[in-house]
Amino acid sequence: MFFRKSIVAATGLFLCIFLIVHLSANAILLLPETTARELYNSYSTALRENLFITLIAYLLYISIILHVVYAAIITFRNTKSKGEKYKVNHNNKNSTWMSQNMGFLGVFILLFIVVHLANFWAKIKLGIGEDVGVDVNGNVDVYEVTSFLFHNMYFMLFYSVLMIPLGFHLYHGLKSAFMTLGFYHKKGLRLLAKISLAYAIIMSVGFGIIPLFVYFK
Amino acid sequence: MKLNAKIPEGKLEDKWKNYQAKSHLINPANKKKLKIIVVGSGLAGAGAAATLAELGYEVQCFCYQDSARRAHSVAAQGGINAAKNYQHDGDSVWRMFHDTLKGGDFRSREANTYRLAELSAPLIDHFVQQGVPFAREYGGVLANRSFGGVQVQRTFYARGQTGQQLLLAAYSQLYKMVRAKKVEMLPRHEVLDIVIIDGKAKGVISRNLAKGEIKRFAADAVVLATGGYSRVFRLSTLAIGCNGSAIWKAHKRGAYFAAPSFTQIHPTALPQTSEAQSKLTLMSESLRNDGRIWVPKKKGDKRKAIDIPEAERDYYLERRYPSYGNLAPRDIASRAAKERIDAGHGVGQFKNAVYLDFKHAIQKLGKKVVEDRYGNLFNMYEKITGINAYEEPMKISPAAHFSMGGLWVDYELMTTIPGLYAIGECNYSDHGANRLGANSLLQTSIDGYFILPNTINNYLEGELKAKQYGIDHPEFSKVEDEVREQIKKLLEVNGTRTVDDFHRELGKVMWQECAMSRNRKGLENAIGEIKHIKNEFWKHVKVTGSDNEMNPELEKALRLADFIELAELMCLDALQRDESCGAHFREEYQSEEGEAMRNDEDFAYVSAWEYNAGNFVLHKEKLMFEYVQPTVRSYK
Amino acid sequence: MKVTFKIWRQENTDAQGELKAYEVDGLSEDMSFLEALDHLNEILVLKDEKVIAFEHDCREGICGQCGVFINGRAHGPHNNTTTCQLHMRSFKEGDTIVVEPWRASSFPIVKDLVVDRSAFDRIIQQGGYITAKTGTAAEANAILVSKEVSDSAMDAAACIGCGACVATCKNASAALFTAAKINHLNKLPQGQPEAHRRLLDMTAQMEFENFGSCTFTGACEIECPADISISNIAEMNARYVKAKLFG
Repeated sequence: MFFRKSIVAATGLFLCIFLIVHLSANAILLLPETTARELYNSYSTALRENLFITLIAYLLYISIILHVVYAAIITFRNTKSKGEKYKVNHNNKNSTWMSQNMGFLGVFILLFIVVHLANFWAKIKLGIGEDVGVDVNGNVDVYEVTSFLFHNMYFMLFYSVLMIPLGFHLYHGLKSAFMTLGFYHKKGLRLLAKISLAYAIIMSVGFGIIPLFVYFK
Repeated sequence: MKLNAKIPEGKLEDKWKNYQAKSHLINPANKKKLKIIVVGSGLAGAGAAATLAELGYEVQCFCYQDSARRAHSVAAQGGINAAKNYQHDGDSVWRMFHDTLKGGDFRSREANTYRLAELSAPLIDHFVQQGVPFAREYGGVLANRSFGGVQVQRTFYARGQTGQQLLLAAYSQLYKMVRAKKVEMLPRHEVLDIVIIDGKAKGVISRNLAKGEIKRFAADAVVLATGGYSRVFRLSTLAIGCNGSAIWKAHKRGAYFAAPSFTQIHPTALPQTSEAQSKLTLMSESLRNDGRIWVPKKKGDKRKAIDIPEAERDYYLERRYPSYGNLAPRDIASRAAKERIDAGHGVGQFKNAVYLDFKHAIQKLGKKVVEDRYGNLFNMYEKITGINAYEEPMKISPAAHFSMGGLWVDYELMTTIPGLYAIGECNYSDHGANRLGANSLLQTSIDGYFILPNTINNYLEGELKAKQYGIDHPEFSKVEDEVREQIKKLLEVNGTRTVDDFHRELGKVMWQECAMSRNRKGLENAIGEIKHIKNEFWKHVKVTGSDNEMNPELEKALRLADFIELAELMCLDALQRDESCGAHFREEYQSEEGEAMRNDEDFAYVSAWEYNAGNFVLHKEKLMFEYVQPTVRSYK
Repeated sequence: MKVTFKIWRQENTDAQGELKAYEVDGLSEDMSFLEALDHLNEILVLKDEKVIAFEHDCREGICGQCGVFINGRAHGPHNNTTTCQLHMRSFKEGDTIVVEPWRASSFPIVKDLVVDRSAFDRIIQQGGYITAKTGTAAEANAILVSKEVSDSAMDAAACIGCGACVATCKNASAALFTAAKINHLNKLPQGQPEAHRRLLDMTAQMEFENFGSCTFTGACEIECPADISISNIAEMNARYVKAKLFG
């Protein structure tokens, strides 16, 4: 029980850190186009060529898989532990909606990740689909891929709207992960709740606003 | 049969040591062969069961609740007394003994009461070791508070949940022994009768409350730890399931019942607010440490409490009992409240309450301190009444609470049936005619942890050599048949009135005639009415459902059937005692100022009733006072 | 006052249960919720029907025996109360009140609204005590416990074992109950010698009894009548790691 929960929490926290890095990279897209293209492409090239980052990337894949698998196991077992459900249940009076629906939110995020990987990872790293060009510096033009994608309204909406469940998932996930891993200082927990909220808002708004920005630019 | 209290030889302070030095011991290998049944899992029962199991006996422990942790010891709020003298305020074993004896209005044995005080200090050590989070000073030492009826601070407490914390300690110790497979715990089992073979207690008949199954259990000794019987009044501070059935059945099988009329009315409960009310919630007596009790000077004053100026308030306890004031003992405080209410000064919706005011305490100590001391009680008060007691005074009212009376036991806590013990509230031992606050947790724990485990060996040693009987003995089947017969009869009545309806009727009679003040005429009438209720009950009660399933209605009916019989004996007992002592106040015996008048000449005895085919025969155990001369119990 | 109760009726553990509606008149606002059920039961008796089995005992919020799910909340509409301390003034004339038993696969239904919470006793049995025999104690003040530690142990020790935490938890987790007992004893100096063993044994039993795992929805601390804070669970987790590493 503790082991499975700790895995979900630890991988979750790791993914939270990853999101910060990811968002800061994405923020490049908010710059004027020429600067953004150059910077974005050279940054992604640097990441691909760095051995350490490659290792982290594998850790990331493993984290996502562990997070999903163990969360699924826990949810399955917890549902079994609960057994028959109440006919009437007003759990909105004693807990937040997201805390009651982490699995449900998680499914959307998983769906997002699958599509996201198909759009970028499959294209750039595996070379599936049309060839990706290079920019003036000879770096693979990831910017072009991104920009093209976000100019498609459906993808733009997909990438923006799915940041909402991500935000909810992160808000509960971050503080819950800390508690699962044994952070119990009472005043600290109150602060943690605020930090989680701020973090969730920054992540979901930050990630969500970029496709909109690119689309309407 | 002549009553023999078996008081050991020697000086008062040596008696318990002398007893232990001389009692028979059993070697560990033989203890394993002996089986003990403990009925009840409160502080007395759980403490005894755990300790007996630690000593090596095979123990079976019964309780009617779904878990041992629910026993009503859990509800004791204020604290537990011990003569530790941590406050350096002149306390000692002797003083505590004296306070208890005096508090009980000299109707208990000196030797028992002394032992209670003597064992109080080691009991605190025991509970601290068991992890009870008693209140502490900043330096880390234990804190104390004062309580009614004494002038020293000797009460140890864990917020307002002392009983809960002590019970949880006992319960966990009990389950430690369940894990060790030395105790078999039988929750949801109600003991419906005691089996006596060759004049000795040899087992019980019990009903599984979840399934309805009736079963026999054999043992070498039976310990009753079933608590108090104040639910006879229906409205009381007790849990709804509290009952007198096991002790009543034991009584009918030969155990003498001592001083059944000695029941304590607690001064600080919440007043009744509706006819359908099922219980009266107690507010800890410790509130009287800082709260001041008053009523309006003007009869039927309709103003709100906060609008009544100081000059028009009657702090009647401080007025009548200047040296003890609001900390006067329970019986006195209750009676004084009744006197004011009867005189038309009562407050609240039904004019049945008095004020308990914290205004001065908050002014003097600050809200923070008051909150620290009584926060949970104030919260509880607000939950139940919707009133914030930091802003306006609480309304409180007397309520039936503790039963000092119970099965007669000797110094070894054995009843008049060999092998049948009664411990905790269900016996009559240390409190006399009135129990002091915070002495209940003490007595029940000491009986279970310290006394019984050191006296039962004296009897069981003999049982090792005696003939062993199993549940196949004809007496077992005879008693089981009687139990089944009673249940069958109850279900067959199929009348027109509910059990609760009868209980309300009985409660009213008892509250009217056999509670805070009693008189001959009233008691005689009550006996007639109770007989009538009994008759009606067996003719018109209606119990639905069957006996082979969980049937709460049947459980209630069985308990009430016994309460009705017990009520009659309570009235008889109150009637024979032509004096006022402790909680027993006979209107015929009072001074001009309305104070109780005791009669040591004729009534310095414990009444012990023998059941004889529907009749009750009175026996008297004369009380000898060698060390303390009974004085008029004055708290003025 | 008149309300309609919809109450779960189930003959025994294996039987099929259902919600049954009962219209009840003649209630007063000062009645406690359980007194309203008493009142309904008296009506049922006179109608020759079986009474509704429900748990209750002390009726002052401390024994922990009572507990039903009322209108979608453990112990009814208020935070941090027991069922016995709920009064009819919390409902309105004409309300429909749905009453269900605690739901958790570790709490099988015995009958109607009564469930079997003996799993709690078995968790306590695995170490919710201090292993010391009666008669072996040293002088009480020989153990000094700072007021802060004693107070925080008391905060945890206040648990009444009613099971509302499990009942309200979507995972039927007993983490709050177990953590409260572990923290009560493990905070105190008296509990130190077997602190790690206690924690590992009790949590193992909690899992063995099939309680779910805690996902910190926080519902338990809102419904807990004894105000046990959810930080107790986090503290248990921290102690668990310590016990695993150093125990």
